[in-house]
Amino acid sequence: MKFAVSMLRDHVDTRLTADEIGDLLTMAGFELEGIEEVDGDPVLDIKVVSNRGDGLSVVGLTREILAKDPESRPTDLYVRATRRFEDVSLAGENPATITIDSSHCNRFALMAVSNIQNGEASPTIRRRLEQAGMRSISLLVDLTNYVMLELGQPLHAFDVDKLGNAVVVRQAREAEKLVTLNGIENELQSNQLVIASPDRAVGVAGVMGGLDTEVSASTTHALIESAHFLNTSVRKTRKQLGLNTEASYRFERSVDPDGVTAALRRFAELLLEHQPEAVISTILDDYPRPPKEIEIDLDLERANRLLGLQIPAASAVRYLTSLGFRVAGHGDPFLIVPPSWRTDIRREEDLVEELGRVHGYELIPDLLPEGQTVPGGVNGAFYLLDRITDRLLALGYHQALSHSLRGVHALDAVGERVGPRNPGSPDTAFLRNSLIPGLSDAAQRNGSKDQFWFEIGKVFSPNEGRSVAILASGALLPPGVNEKAETPADFYAVKAAVEDVLAAIGIATDFQSTDEDARLHPFRQAKIGDYGVIGEIHPSLAADLGLADRTIVAEVNLESLLQQDSPELKVKSFSRHPAVRRDVAVLVNQSVPFAELETAIRTAAGPVLERLWVFDDFRGPGIPEDSHSVGIGMIFRKPDSTFTDEEANQVRDEIAAALQSVGATLR
Amino acid sequence: MPQSVPVELIPGIQAAATAAIDGATSVADLRLAEARFLGKNGEITGLMKQMGAVAKEDRPAFGAAVNEAKAAITARYEARLAVLTKAEMSARLEADKIDVTMPGRPVRAGTMHILEQTTRKIKRVLAGLGFEYQEGPELEQFRYNFDALNYPPDHPAMDDQDTFFINDDLLLRTQCTALQGRIFKTRKPPLRVFTVGRTFRNEAVDRTHNHTFHQVDCFMIDEHVSMAHLKGTLGAFAQAMFGGDVKVRFRPDFFPFVEPGVDYAISSPKLFGGKWVELGGAGLIHPNILEQHGIDTRRYSGFAFGLGVERIPMMATGVDDLRLFMENDSRFLNQFRREIL
Repeated sequence: MKFAVSMLRDHVDTRLTADEIGDLLTMAGFELEGIEEVDGDPVLDIKVVSNRGDGLSVVGLTREILAKDPESRPTDLYVRATRRFEDVSLAGENPATITIDSSHCNRFALMAVSNIQNGEASPTIRRRLEQAGMRSISLLVDLTNYVMLELGQPLHAFDVDKLGNAVVVRQAREAEKLVTLNGIENELQSNQLVIASPDRAVGVAGVMGGLDTEVSASTTHALIESAHFLNTSVRKTRKQLGLNTEASYRFERSVDPDGVTAALRRFAELLLEHQPEAVISTILDDYPRPPKEIEIDLDLERANRLLGLQIPAASAVRYLTSLGFRVAGHGDPFLIVPPSWRTDIRREEDLVEELGRVHGYELIPDLLPEGQTVPGGVNGAFYLLDRITDRLLALGYHQALSHSLRGVHALDAVGERVGPRNPGSPDTAFLRNSLIPGLSDAAQRNGSKDQFWFEIGKVFSPNEGRSVAILASGALLPPGVNEKAETPADFYAVKAAVEDVLAAIGIATDFQSTDEDARLHPFRQAKIGDYGVIGEIHPSLAADLGLADRTIVAEVNLESLLQQDSPELKVKSFSRHPAVRRDVAVLVNQSVPFAELETAIRTAAGPVLERLWVFDDFRGPGIPEDSHSVGIGMIFRKPDSTFTDEEANQVRDEIAAALQSVGATLR
Repeated sequence: MPQSVPVELIPGIQAAATAAIDGATSVADLRLAEARFLGKNGEITGLMKQMGAVAKEDRPAFGAAVNEAKAAITARYEARLAVLTKAEMSARLEADKIDVTMPGRPVRAGTMHILEQTTRKIKRVLAGLGFEYQEGPELEQFRYNFDALNYPPDHPAMDDQDTFFINDDLLLRTQCTALQGRIFKTRKPPLRVFTVGRTFRNEAVDRTHNHTFHQVDCFMIDEHVSMAHLKGTLGAFAQAMFGGDVKVRFRPDFFPFVEPGVDYAISSPKLFGGKWVELGGAGLIHPNILEQHGIDTRRYSGFAFGLGVERIPMMATGVDDLRLFMENDSRFLNQFRREIL
């Protein structure tokens, strides 16, 4: 809401400067968004929150100044406005008729003006309209806008010669056409309210008038409409037609239904100031649905307790009265009737806010909560998620946060997906069903080579669930002094990270070879239990996406894992006897998975096998084409005594025999 | 042939041993000399073995002479050993000299995203104030995002939050406050709960707007909760987050889910040039919401406050482009290896 300070000063006699007025309004809840000087007059731009339609007028903001600043005084004009300009007497005959045929119209009033010349409004009014961001058009239109700016009540002027005197307020007919003032032909719907002559719609109620009944320079007779429409109806219509106007903006935020005729009287007064010869009729006023007055009990002690303030009764009464509330009783409780323009006041807490903001929130003390404490903290699954993040950071992965809303990506998971029905842009067309596309984008953005990323976040497939994904490519470590070979990240590097992370939340992993995931290299991928996948991105996809040739990804759905009770951790006693190491090297066909060798070893060795690792995996010269040579290191230890050489050799021989039984030959 | 009497051999051996010890230039040489004279098969040990060849009456004198020589050689050896060990250690240390200004050997240290760092700090502070962390879904039901938060049907307040709708019932939450209804549905006061999460607005993206950003929402319900408790809690929160002597300022504002509703700003002489910086919205939880869930508003009241997560590092470090937070550009993220809060 923009208005010239000079216009405000017509209503309030105050020593406050424009800046101080801006500050006062801000502290009253009407935030100053800017002050600019236009034609030597400061113009305030005030943000009016959506439940305070009464603040969209100079009179409404004056009321706030008078409530908060006892030294400011109302002018005669303001006092007359609060008395609804009842002192303006109108006597001419009103030829119009009104038929209200919809429950969306609460009140409708018409005033006829004739013997006029629709010339220009006074320079002051035209300047003030321009300062408020409105275009000056003609005397009649400018006066409707000026009264709206002053009082908040939208008015509309119809050319009687084009409209006639029989005015109907009704729902639009389905597909009824109306060309509005902006020259656009609208196709109306039956849920929309129109102003009509008996034969056609001539205006969209509360939104915009029709072009063919517009007043023009030649207009000598006009009907001035002032009305009150249901705010939700105006809002729906405005959205459906895409017509945002000063009038619809006010009606949506609610206009004072009791101010309808006052606005016409103020219009009449201003018109007569311009054209003393004008003939103005009485007001024809149909008010089928006046709002019910409500009465609210105000327990001042409770109000003070909620605010943390000590507002004396006398002050409370003064604050509310100056805002237009009627106050009865002597406390315990007070009986409060809100004014007709304050539809936002429904219950005691609303009054609490009025008292607090007028008294001044700056007077509220700082107290820490008292009373019963509850166990706070970050616990359960939320703690586990933080731990997973910590593990991945410790493993040297960088944390990414990518958009949940995104466009399609070659690395999206297969399956049903969802997206907004109003995406606005292809970049927000879908909710991600995998975290891998985001990590791929991160890798690519940062040069594709030597990338190590992870993300924990929600995926939608289509149900919402938490997931963690990892991406690795390139050198595991940056080159150091005198270090030559850089070990590249591979499947096994990421596998180890997955195992470490899941171990941290008590989940034992299980990797099964698969070729089901078309995003991944068919011979370098695995399922992780029934909750995850790991593998090298398919080389052709990696090339298409500009990723490094060997880029490894893994994704684990955490939702079910976080709900699981992880097995209790029991600390075991450990052996203090020395260990022995034995190695075996075998030749084995490449079709035999290592897991089979491992099972054979573990079964043959039993509990004395403390640790097992692969120190060599060789295929090449000297090794049969379809085989590889595998060197396995093992640590044996007994709980109660020291292994002798003979005992260790015996275990190793049993292991060797077991390996032979699964097709391996000792080297 | 006159056999040399063992006792006569002692001076010669002793002289040879002294020469060998004194002539050794390394610990290794010295140990050879020690073995030659004092070892199991050494010359001094060999003398002792010749005791039998000595006349019985001369044996005590012979033994004493050998021991005397052995003691002298041992003492000389040990002195020399100490000197040579020390010399060798200093030579080794000298040879070990490194250039400490050469670069450290590379490690691959993961980096925590700046928004995670900020969130962790928020979690620490609010958990410390006794609030419990909870989360709600990003894909939220219309009723939790709006109806349950006291939005009147078809009210312009919803226009402040352009919404991504999946269908008439499901949307991407526009505010983390949506968690409140979910908590009130299943829990009873006293309650102190907070959440941090993603929120979505269907608006054009530029430096100061993004379709996705993060919010904190924090609320408590107990007997006699007042605006003063809200102000005190916000002060304690802001002080823990930003340090310094923080003041809180309330200004009236409208959010359907609080009454009274305020926006709050903080200031501190040492921060933000002493200016007021707006952080978010707050107020007392609207009684309509409490009553919806059968909470007696004569007995209980509650406060709630919210703020944007991105705003915190923006204020603390001068980041001026909201989009950077979700672009995963390491040139940006790597600048936060140092904790900022």
